[in-house]
Amino acid sequence: MSAVQPSDELPREPAMDEPRGGPTVLRIMLGNQLRRLREAGGITPDEAGYEIRGSRSKISRIEHGRVGFKERDIEDLLTLYGVTDEQVRAGMLALARQANSPGWWAKYNDILPDWFEPYLGLEMAASLIRNFEIQFVHGLFQTEDYARAVTALGYGPVSSDETERRVSLRMRRQEVLTGVDPPRVWFVIDEAALRRPIGGRQVMRAQLKHLLEAATLPNVTIQVVPFRRGGHAAAGGSFTILRFAAPDLPDVVYLEHLTSALYLDDRRDVDHYMEVMNRLSAEAHTPVATTRFLKEIIQEI
Amino acid sequence: MTSEGSPPAADRGDGTAQGTREVPLDLDTSVAHVARVYDYWLGGKDNFAADRAAGEQAIQAYPDIVYSVRANRAFLARTVRYLAGEAGIRQFLDIGTGIPTANNTHEVAQDVAPGSNVVYVDNDPVVLTHARALLVSGEQGHTNYIDADLRDTGRILAEAAQTLDFSRPVAIMLMAILQHIDEAEDPYEIVNSLLAAVPSGSYLAISHPAADIETEAMAQMAERLNKLMAEKVTFRTRPQVARFFDGLELVEPGMLRVQEWRPASEIEAKSPAALWGGVGRKGSGDR
Repeated sequence: MSAVQPSDELPREPAMDEPRGGPTVLRIMLGNQLRRLREAGGITPDEAGYEIRGSRSKISRIEHGRVGFKERDIEDLLTLYGVTDEQVRAGMLALARQANSPGWWAKYNDILPDWFEPYLGLEMAASLIRNFEIQFVHGLFQTEDYARAVTALGYGPVSSDETERRVSLRMRRQEVLTGVDPPRVWFVIDEAALRRPIGGRQVMRAQLKHLLEAATLPNVTIQVVPFRRGGHAAAGGSFTILRFAAPDLPDVVYLEHLTSALYLDDRRDVDHYMEVMNRLSAEAHTPVATTRFLKEIIQEI
Repeated sequence: MTSEGSPPAADRGDGTAQGTREVPLDLDTSVAHVARVYDYWLGGKDNFAADRAAGEQAIQAYPDIVYSVRANRAFLARTVRYLAGEAGIRQFLDIGTGIPTANNTHEVAQDVAPGSNVVYVDNDPVVLTHARALLVSGEQGHTNYIDADLRDTGRILAEAAQTLDFSRPVAIMLMAILQHIDEAEDPYEIVNSLLAAVPSGSYLAISHPAADIETEAMAQMAERLNKLMAEKVTFRTRPQVARFFDGLELVEPGMLRVQEWRPASEIEAKSPAALWGGVGRKGSGDR
């Protein structure tokens, strides 16, 4: 998959009772990986299909991520493909389970756009999340009040019930930061995102204080790119790079637009974004200088 | 995350070397760089097309390189554990940091002996990017990073002195880096000048790719890497590597293949890694 763009035709807000697939991108990534392993082993789809008591078209469906995974099938295929490393096998099986499971966010189906749901799956599965944000404080670090203000901006005057559900989804997402084996989170934030008083001064000040606190978590690194630096910050928009512990799973670049999102895992794309991310990190204040800088902004705002 | 306390640590936060530097890093990734090639061999994901190409070329010449780099990381962790534990060292100068991965020197040292101070040195801009963001001082001790070349020992020592107290023992870590200094640049003199700056009771830990293990494959790998990488490599024989420890007391079991230096398990000891390694202690003698 070089770019997975969920169909534009899909409604942004599926109805409550509409059946939904599992985390699409996880499936596609795993399918892609299985295809590469099969090809590397010189095994035909027919042979692979036979191994799992199916046909070549079943292999094709699996490799394109169009169906859920049966754990036994994955185990058998990995064995056929010569993958014996227990850690690798366990990692891929864990992801397969995650790809199948509806996820805790299933109960938010009514407010989750189709193109965003895969991101939640990836965010939960990632071992490293690198993000560059220009406009807002990232969802993983938003306070409730700030999230409420951002939601109002994005979705306009909606029922307070819906707004509260969006806010509660965002708060639930943040649990990953302090859970068991949390991901390493390395965020670069443009000064603009910190100066614009979303929700008013008071909300913004509390938000910045929250950011300061988050930066003390051992798995969290926050760097601010000040206005006086960072031509690169202006060259592109916000983006996120997600990395997974399994050595064979490629990094995924996530780009969010207003009504859709792109998921890139082609190596050339990832390399390019990684290089830009490295530049941004190099241009940004160090974590310690960022702490000082945040305190200054809090005073000024 | 910060524990900026007593001077001179107060200004250390965003680092002497790292903070004052005005960014225009050469982040060019079109030529293979050793730290990123090494990351590729380790199975990391912080490498780029040129690094992967060079890494693959090397693997074709010497497939066991992937075991060598793992054995080297494991050797690093074991030596730091020994130094911070049994040897009671609290200060580390780790030159040739590489891209941060698991079991970084400061993590191992500060795990064994909280309060240990670690200074990292590397010259790869990608390492710099990671190090200035991720290798930061914590409650467990000070960690600092210097963006410098091993050949520039004067600057390394001057800047390291802002974090390390050179009147007290220091462990100098030179893991798989001396092969980038050829004979003409006199690697022995470089090691000498580093050792001259530390008091007796200090330690030197070295690992070095071997020229006399898997001789042909290693030579072919060196030839390929030298065509593709910015930094050239010179692999050395056991006597040549042993010379770095001249005048030091070698810690048991002496200088041998890195996987045989106090292995944690039989499996670890059986790695095919082709690196010489050892740990030496500076006594009160001439050196």
